[in-house]
Amino acid sequence: MDSGLAGKVVIVTGGSRGIGRAIVEMFSAEGADVTFLFRENTAAAAEVVAAGRAAGRQITAEQVDVRDPEGCAAAVERVAERCGHIDVLVNNAGLVRDNLLGLLEDDDVRAVLDTNIGGVFNLTRAVVPHMIARRAGKIINVSSVAGEKGGRGQTNYAASKGAVNAFTRALAVELAPRGITVNAVAPGVIETDMSQAVRDRAGEEVKSRILLRRFGAPIDVAYAIWFLASRYADYITGEVLHVDGGFKME
Amino acid sequence: MMPVDITKDEILAVYPKVAQTMADALGCDVEEVALNAPLIDGLGAESIDFLDIVFRLERAFKVKIPRGKIVEDARGDLPEAAFEEKGYLTEVGLQRLREYLSEVPADRFHLPMRMADIPRLFTPETFCKIVARGLRAGPGDPSRA
Repeated sequence: MDSGLAGKVVIVTGGSRGIGRAIVEMFSAEGADVTFLFRENTAAAAEVVAAGRAAGRQITAEQVDVRDPEGCAAAVERVAERCGHIDVLVNNAGLVRDNLLGLLEDDDVRAVLDTNIGGVFNLTRAVVPHMIARRAGKIINVSSVAGEKGGRGQTNYAASKGAVNAFTRALAVELAPRGITVNAVAPGVIETDMSQAVRDRAGEEVKSRILLRRFGAPIDVAYAIWFLASRYADYITGEVLHVDGGFKME
Repeated sequence: MMPVDITKDEILAVYPKVAQTMADALGCDVEEVALNAPLIDGLGAESIDFLDIVFRLERAFKVKIPRGKIVEDARGDLPEAAFEEKGYLTEVGLQRLREYLSEVPADRFHLPMRMADIPRLFTPETFCKIVARGLRAGPGDPSRA
């Protein structure tokens, strides 16, 4: 069975580590031409590119803060110039700054919202005209279980991810007539650097609230995104696919 | 300031390529894209098609067309509050729009007119003028597109 991803032009935000890196590696291994955006971890980004190229894969890194609309637009244009079009956008870049509401600094709120939902707007607005012109494309947003399940100290993060879910459904309606699908994947607790503090704070107890009694791995999320980007998901749009071991249901 | 008027020759010079671009965006035959055909009511364009049309025109002519430029140019130096009120064009606003969209028959301008309905007035000639302005301005000067 052919996923249809070979030769596709893919943009992934936040691709230097964690879930983003797993996505970059999986898609490029399928034969896709992957450009990933990263904000600051130059060494990690270089490592992803070097490892991929050593394996004969098409991987390009662009240092862009997704909060910067002009930077996002310019990066998208560079990909379009180089490849001629864009097939898949994975909005993965995200930021966590957990704290109780009363202890959140203004910047904790602003940075999380600007990155997690502002970044989705910035990239998607730049990519969509390219997809509309071709009457094809797949947009996959990385949301979170926090978008639907209440979590102490996560008002900023939960608000941003709830917004991602709403954005996904609204844009799916907007773009369906042009043959573009828009979906989201909502990871639960995944073993990444970003969730390290959450896991440290919650301890083993949180596993008892996950039906499958374990944390997820980045590859678990990457598989779901791969599916939504593949031809097997051509008839799916406006969905939020939970990859959380049943955490949302507990 | 209202932008300087574009000549008919300038419009006709870009029209064939504009028409082809619109036909590609709207999925119709280029022969259907008459210079004065209303894009929404005549050619079946939807609001999302304008995004596509502008995107394609920018690439086809290597000009920058800022979103919302038509209304902004039509308003000119008129304060926003004098141009529109609660989402509807004022009488002065309608007059400004009529002057700016001189290619559109006068009987299509009437009050009340919602701001959201302004695109109903657009024709291929409207976009020919925008492109011609962009070409006059040259690359890298989107403010005059």
